[in-house]
Amino acid sequence: MIQVPSRPNSPTDEELNRYILTRYALLGIDISVLPESDEDAPMDQERLLEHARSVLRQDAAAADFAIDPQLHLPVAHPAPFTAWTDEQSP
Amino acid sequence: MSEYDSPSGPPPPQDERVSRRWFLGRMAGFSAAAAASGAVLSRAKVAASPGSLVVTPEAFASDVRIQSVDDPTTLTMAESMTLIRSGALAPTELVEAYAERIESFEDIYQAYADRSTRQALLEALDETPVDEQRFPLRAMCLVPKDNFYTSDLLTEGGSLVFEGFQPDYDATVVALLRSAGGLIVGKGQMGNLAGGRARVYGTTVPTTRNAWSPDDVRYSPGGSSSGSATAIAARLAVAGLGTQTGGSVTGPGNAQGLTCIKPTFGRVSLHGVIPLSYTRDHVGVMARDAKDAAILLQVIARPDPNDPRSLGLPQPPNYALAATAFPGERPRVRWPTRIGIWPDYLADEDEGVNTLRRAFLEVLEQNASVQIVSDITLPDQWEELTSEPLGGSHGDPTAFFIEHLRRDVRDFADRLPRFLNGMLQSADTYVKVQQARNLLLNRMLTQLFNQCEVVLTGETDAFDGTGLPLLCMPIGFDTDGETGKTVPRGAVMAARPFGEERLFAVAAAYQAVTDFHRTRAADPS
Repeated sequence: MIQVPSRPNSPTDEELNRYILTRYALLGIDISVLPESDEDAPMDQERLLEHARSVLRQDAAAADFAIDPQLHLPVAHPAPFTAWTDEQSP
Repeated sequence: MSEYDSPSGPPPPQDERVSRRWFLGRMAGFSAAAAASGAVLSRAKVAASPGSLVVTPEAFASDVRIQSVDDPTTLTMAESMTLIRSGALAPTELVEAYAERIESFEDIYQAYADRSTRQALLEALDETPVDEQRFPLRAMCLVPKDNFYTSDLLTEGGSLVFEGFQPDYDATVVALLRSAGGLIVGKGQMGNLAGGRARVYGTTVPTTRNAWSPDDVRYSPGGSSSGSATAIAARLAVAGLGTQTGGSVTGPGNAQGLTCIKPTFGRVSLHGVIPLSYTRDHVGVMARDAKDAAILLQVIARPDPNDPRSLGLPQPPNYALAATAFPGERPRVRWPTRIGIWPDYLADEDEGVNTLRRAFLEVLEQNASVQIVSDITLPDQWEELTSEPLGGSHGDPTAFFIEHLRRDVRDFADRLPRFLNGMLQSADTYVKVQQARNLLLNRMLTQLFNQCEVVLTGETDAFDGTGLPLLCMPIGFDTDGETGKTVPRGAVMAARPFGEERLFAVAAAYQAVTDFHRTRAADPS
C-alpha cells in the first residue's frame, strides 16, 4: 500500500529555537552574550528568538503565494527596470 | 500666449514617457543581473552625459521672495544664491551666520554626529572660485546623514558597529556637492543603522531634538534621518541629504516641516553610502522648499560608474524649472495633473491631521491644472503584495554585516533582529519577494497610475519597495497631543518612475500660494 504524504505538524517554538540557534552557530554567531530576558536592555535573547520564529513562519507562509513564473520574473530594482527594458517611449 | 497655453503646451514631463504597458516576454533571466547588464550597456551614455554640473537659471528664479537678510540663516538656498549673485549677501557672512548658530545651539539640538570647524569651512569657502556655473553651491552649508562616507569626518551610521570609522573617500553624492562648491558642515545624527530616531549608540537614550521641540526630547525628530532634518529646520544647515529604505526621509521631513524628495531608485548613486538594502535604499534630498530640493537633486542626479544601478537611465531633466510654479494670475501646476486621494487619506486617527489634509485638498482643487480624483481604487491583492513576507526585505542587510555579527551582536543593539534574521529567510522566498515586487509595480502602473499622475498617501513602504519617487512637504501646524507643542504636519505625494518633475511641479504650485514652508522654528528658550 502506497503511503499518501500528509502535511507535517507545524513545529513548536522549542523546535524552531533549536533550528535558529543551530543556524546561528553554523555561521559562527554567538547570541549568548545577550541577556536572556531583560526588557530594559536594547535587545535580549527572548525577543530575538521571538522575532526569528516570526520570520521563519512568515517565510513558510510565502510559499503559499502563487505567482506566475512566466509573466512575473524576479526583479531586484523594479522602477529603473522600466527604463532598462525600454518601457519608455522615445 | 504663454508656453502653457500654446497648442502644444509645455514639453511633457519625464513620467509621461514611461509606458503604462508592462513588459511581457521581452526579457529573460533579467533578475539581479539587471544591474550588471545596465553597467555594460551604459558606458557610452555616461561618457556622453554633461561633463559639468548643471544648475539652470531657474535656480535663481525671480519669484523667490526675499523676506529678510537680517539673519541669512532664515533664507532658502535659492534665496541665498540669488542674494550672493546680486552682491547683497557676502558668502563669508552666510557661512559665519551658520557657524554662529551651530556654536550657540548645537549642544541643545544635538543634530550633528561629527562636524567641521568654523575655520575649516571658511578655508574651504576661500578655496572655491567665484564661478556660479561651476560652483553654484558656493557658501551653501550642507548636512549629509552620517551614513554617507566623508573623507574628513567620521562616518558611524549611528551605531557601535561603525564607531570610529573614518572612510578614505567621499560618497559620490558628497563629492558632487563639494565639487559644486557646497560646504559639508557636519554629519547628521541618525537612527541606529538607519532605523528609528537618533540615540546614544548602543542604547535606547534619544539624542537629537526636533527643531520644533528643542526643550522636550519626547517629541521625536523623526527617523532615521533625524540629524539632517533637525539641522535644516533649526537653521544649522540650509539643506542636506538623508537616506530612505522605509520612510526615513519623508518621516523626519514631515516631522520638521521640510520639503524632501526621495527620487526614483537609481536616479542618485548609492556608492559610498553604508548599505541597508541593495534593493530599497535611496538617497533623498532634504530642504526648506521645493526649489531648494530641486537644486540639490539637479547636482547629485547623474550616472555613476561606481553604482551600476544608476546607469542606463534617462538623463535628468530640468528639476529647477519643474519646481517653478507656472506664472499667471494664480500660479498653476506646470502640467495638467490628476491627483488621486488614497482611500483612507482623510481618516487619520488624529482629527487635526484630517482637518489640515482637507484644507490642503481645497488649495489643490483651486489650481486650474489639477483634477482631484477622490475615489481611486488600489491594485489587486494590495494587502498581500505590500505586507510581510512578500513586502519585506529580510535578507538584504544580513549579507553585508556577517563579519560584524560574528564580532559582537551587542553592537547592533535594538536593530539586531533586522540584521540577524535575514539568514533565516530561504532563497526561494527571496526570489518570490522579487517576483512580487515586479508584480506590484506592474499593478501600480496599470491599476493605480492609470487613474492619476500623482497620489496623496500616508503609505510610503510600497513606494520604497518598488523604487517610485516620493515628495513630502508641510501643509500646516497642529498641536502634539503628548507635549502640547505646536508642530508642523506634512503631506506625502508619490508618482510614476521618474516622476520627480511632476512632484516638484505640484509642490511648487502649492508653495506659491501658501506659507507653511516659510515658517521657521523658534530658537531654544
